[in-house]
Amino acid sequence: MPREAEPSLNEKQFVLQALQDSIRLDGRELEQYRPLELTFGDQYGVADVTLGKTRVLAKASAELTVPYADRPLDGIFNIATELSPMTSPAFEVNRPTETEVLISRLLEKTVRRSGALDTESLCLVAGQKCWSIRVDVHVLSHDGNLIDAACFAVVAALRHFRKPDTSMEGGVLTVYTPAEREPVPLSWLHSPFCVTWSFFGEDGDIAVLDATWMEEQVSSGSCTISLNKHGEICQIAKLGGVPVEAVSLLQCTNVALIKAKDMSSKLDRWLTEDAKRRDKGGLLAELSAENDRVPDI
Amino acid sequence: MPLDTSTYGLALLRVDGRRWNELRRIHAQIRTQAAADGSSYLEMGHTKVMCVVTGPSEPGPRRGAAGGAAGGGGGAGGQSKDAEVVVNIVIAGFSSVDRKRRGRGDKRTLEMQSTLANTLAATLHTHLFPHSQINISLHVLSQDGSLLAALINAATLACVDAGIPMTDYVTACTAGSTSTYAANDEGADPLLDLNHQEEQELPGLTVATLGDSDRVVALVCESRVQISRLEGMLAVGVDGCKQVREILDQVIKAQGQKMILEGTVDKGTGLNDMDLD
Repeated sequence: MPREAEPSLNEKQFVLQALQDSIRLDGRELEQYRPLELTFGDQYGVADVTLGKTRVLAKASAELTVPYADRPLDGIFNIATELSPMTSPAFEVNRPTETEVLISRLLEKTVRRSGALDTESLCLVAGQKCWSIRVDVHVLSHDGNLIDAACFAVVAALRHFRKPDTSMEGGVLTVYTPAEREPVPLSWLHSPFCVTWSFFGEDGDIAVLDATWMEEQVSSGSCTISLNKHGEICQIAKLGGVPVEAVSLLQCTNVALIKAKDMSSKLDRWLTEDAKRRDKGGLLAELSAENDRVPDI
Repeated sequence: MPLDTSTYGLALLRVDGRRWNELRRIHAQIRTQAAADGSSYLEMGHTKVMCVVTGPSEPGPRRGAAGGAAGGGGGAGGQSKDAEVVVNIVIAGFSSVDRKRRGRGDKRTLEMQSTLANTLAATLHTHLFPHSQINISLHVLSQDGSLLAALINAATLACVDAGIPMTDYVTACTAGSTSTYAANDEGADPLLDLNHQEEQELPGLTVATLGDSDRVVALVCESRVQISRLEGMLAVGVDGCKQVREILDQVIKAQGQKMILEGTVDKGTGLNDMDLD
């Protein structure tokens, strides 16, 4: 397995010493994110997120299947992550590296286990027919902080996604094409966002948000906190690494909440802008057969 | 199936009769496997794990082919100047009620392996053993909540038994909070050391600290919880870790005394003040 070349000793020392003086190589503040950009595709459910030089594409798709036998009332929801060799020569196809396993576990815990998507609403006929929602995450370019970017992309893709409208009449299930009925959004309950802190130094006393790949390579530990804008923690993962004072972890969580709220309002704004762009002539409201049920996400 | 812990508010007793700040019974042994470099057996309530440490030794031929992900490698690679910590967790099929088969590629296990490897790599003095490998294999015999915490404690004990220099004990325990995330009541009590039933129903986290300090090595929270609850849970968890540390320390000292009395090891000079009765 090819290994990523480690930064040289000089580079490491340079980055660390600068961080000691609260200076980052790209001139950001310690608690500042790189510019976050989001573009939606022409189709529903495609989100392309760039965070500095990190770029992640997420695509949501739906298909009709049979629900799992042990959960007849639930739909199926999966997140598939792929780190291809396009990103870095250290990644190989069909052989998940540790990074990939950790990212997919984190996304799973953040989005799926926290109940962001109401899987019961995906069930059409109990035990027989349900929607299977799948999100494919492709990392196109890796310059650190993949987790935050990937999580944002997944949430954006799912909130942008529309599944075909269906109806049940007399035991007959009809799935409408987009031409017949405007597709409907998923039943979305809350939007969690990941915020990753990286710790530097022997005592882990320097905490930095949104580390670049270079910074990640010299960091001595990291902690990913997932929150939604209501102040609910969905997941915390500090998987080993340098020991950090419990009090500073609490501070990190509070700052993370501010960042998560910030990301949440950004996403809301981009989603409304996109909705306006698609809604040419204001016809969508008339075409939609759906009742407004969830006013505030 | 959800279980009703709402009775907690009436008697302030939990499903197994403990109070909020009580640990379950911890029983630990070290030097259980004669052939291994270091070994331990740990019970936290009904969670039972066994740990065997091999090394530091020369890395095997397996390296490179399946390192990293498969073994949950922590620290740096075997070619560097630090020893590599490789953790392998085997969860026995009979360890839980539903007898679920977990393959080698199970992501939850891989994540735990990686957490353990990184936790220990930060504490063990791996720089003393360049180009070598420390193998830690853990066997889960019975699961009743706080699995990750039990694994970390067992691994710490086994590393001490193997005589690998380390900064201090890494001890772990879980903490939870009564009432679910939805109820926004401020009167929710933090709970120490969750069992399986509580883990299923209540929000909780696993915290691992270094020695007697408040410094957190690992913090894993997998459930939805209000941010205001975190402080209480973390405080109780860190306090629990200190209690666990005392217990583990006693286990090690007891074993040390036994070995001196048996004459397995010489009595060191620094041990004159130690009571050997």
